[in-house]
Amino acid sequence: MRKSNLIGSYAAAIFVMLIFTLPILWMFMGAFKTPVDIYSIPPVWWPDFSYLENFKALLAENWSFLLNSVIITLGATVLCMIFALPCAFGLVNFQFKGNNFLADWILSTRMMPPIAAAVPLFMIFNGMGMLDTHAALIIVYAGFNLPFAVWVAMSFFRNLPKEIIEAARIEGCTWFQTFWQVALPLTKSGIATVSTFVFIFAWNELLLALFLTSSDAKTFPVVISGFSTLSRTYWEFVSAATVIQVLPPIIFTLIMQRHIVSGLTMGAVKNG
Amino acid sequence: MGQVELQNVKKSFGSVDVIKDISLDIKDGEFVVFVGPSGCGKSTLLRMISGLETMSEGTVGIAGRDVTDVQPSEREIAMVFQSYALFPHISVRDNVAFGLKIAGLPKEEIDAKVAKTSEILGLEKLLDRKPRELSGGQQQRVAIGRAIVREPAVFLFDEPLSNLDAALRVQMRIELIKLHASLDATMIYVTHDQVEAMTMAERIVVLRDGRVEQFDTPVRLYDRPQNLFVAGFIGSPKMNFVKASPGESGAVLLANKVSKSIPGVVQDQLTPNMQLGIRPEHITYSHDSGDWQGTVTVEEQLGSDAFLYVDVPEIGQVTVRAVDERSFTRGDTIFLSFDPERCHLFNDDEQRIN
Repeated sequence: MRKSNLIGSYAAAIFVMLIFTLPILWMFMGAFKTPVDIYSIPPVWWPDFSYLENFKALLAENWSFLLNSVIITLGATVLCMIFALPCAFGLVNFQFKGNNFLADWILSTRMMPPIAAAVPLFMIFNGMGMLDTHAALIIVYAGFNLPFAVWVAMSFFRNLPKEIIEAARIEGCTWFQTFWQVALPLTKSGIATVSTFVFIFAWNELLLALFLTSSDAKTFPVVISGFSTLSRTYWEFVSAATVIQVLPPIIFTLIMQRHIVSGLTMGAVKNG
Repeated sequence: MGQVELQNVKKSFGSVDVIKDISLDIKDGEFVVFVGPSGCGKSTLLRMISGLETMSEGTVGIAGRDVTDVQPSEREIAMVFQSYALFPHISVRDNVAFGLKIAGLPKEEIDAKVAKTSEILGLEKLLDRKPRELSGGQQQRVAIGRAIVREPAVFLFDEPLSNLDAALRVQMRIELIKLHASLDATMIYVTHDQVEAMTMAERIVVLRDGRVEQFDTPVRLYDRPQNLFVAGFIGSPKMNFVKASPGESGAVLLANKVSKSIPGVVQDQLTPNMQLGIRPEHITYSHDSGDWQGTVTVEEQLGSDAFLYVDVPEIGQVTVRAVDERSFTRGDTIFLSFDPERCHLFNDDEQRIN
């Protein structure tokens, strides 16, 4: 490639990268600015990173909501996997009348916009006395992610060589043992991929949390949305809270990254 | 102990009948091979015995017990797959011990059995490796080890050697024969390779289109094929076929020219469009006289043997096996005859007459 072309490509790449990263960078900077710096013109380009008052004030009042987010997200991810993995394994390996229809039907439930379910869910949990509880959000998040999780897990189980499942059954495994001892260990990367997506969805969800929680089980995204009030938006707290909010998905994704890459490409190539 | 009985077994996938009413009786300790062209249903039949495939009709009995509705895990069988189907996430040792652990045997007993099996198959040095670190032949050995360690009543092999190279295949073939002799267990083996079938089997089931064409010993299949399909399928190079019609007083007229009496054939059995089968080694040849005259088109020299492909105007191409023969080359004129005692006559329904 000619030198001028190369420079052009790099310039284009950097330009696109800036479009995506600048808002995040600006938010990151904002987390370390005083309220005065936030609104100052010309802007403060390089804040004092030793200024941690925003974080301190934020966490002092809201740490319990961050804990709520952690509990609900992990709970929903685990609950979703507990139901999705056996379901997907069964749909792939059991031949019964209507199993394709059932799989399609499961996916179709994902087509419903969450807002359509918000009011009915509110009424159901209200009737059961479960409003503003961890359990309610865990159930809802797990439920909303089940169709996606089942479908992705199905593609991983489908990619397992049929003979390996058959060999396990000949060797004396029950269906559960086949699932637990053979299918699960061989689809680790798939499980990592699905659980990462479910984790990120549950961690970032705002709408249903707004509807179903008020104080005890309020999650962190709801807290962030609360910083925008009628009188003013507390940008310094929004920034600091958002920095905290984006950290767990990044850490979780980094841990799972090795698996996710192989998980996303699994099945792209025969025997891959 | 390990006899297998199939009674009126049928299998359909939708409207397609894959197995059409098969009944077989396999004796305890026998080595039986299912052979046939691809799509004949041999693997399906094996999978029905294993329980991995359900049956549309009929019953399967293993070791005197009706197992038609019994799960594969409870049928006292072991199976070796074409792809080996080892569990890639566990070591060779755990692969071999897998079934024993599932059965809940005590650890000392498992260790003893795994040690004994790996000694038989020469796996001792591989026990701590993962399957992906083994060659194809070693993986196949592990798969066999996993099967024999459980001491099942019946072994099922689904084309186990077809992923190996030719030399290794011959070696494994011999080892499997030895293994059968030492274990004295019933083995059912599926292959499309008739050489494998002929060399390994005590009895062979020849299948075509979901039906049993013949169930017999290798020698009987070769010497007395019951129909045209078996005659053409067993033997390499293939048997030669010549059109035949009824001649005078029980004789048959070959290619409208040569009249021959076939021993054991009477006039009543003859039909208008018969086929006479002659194996390449039962055709005699000479430079100057015979029933047919032809031209050598291809000469295949194997050293000890030679195969001459001869173009005979009345018949078409004829294959001749010539032992220690080097006097014919391409383009030579050759005269061919055959021994009526050693030929196979098939009627219009492709069934054997003589």
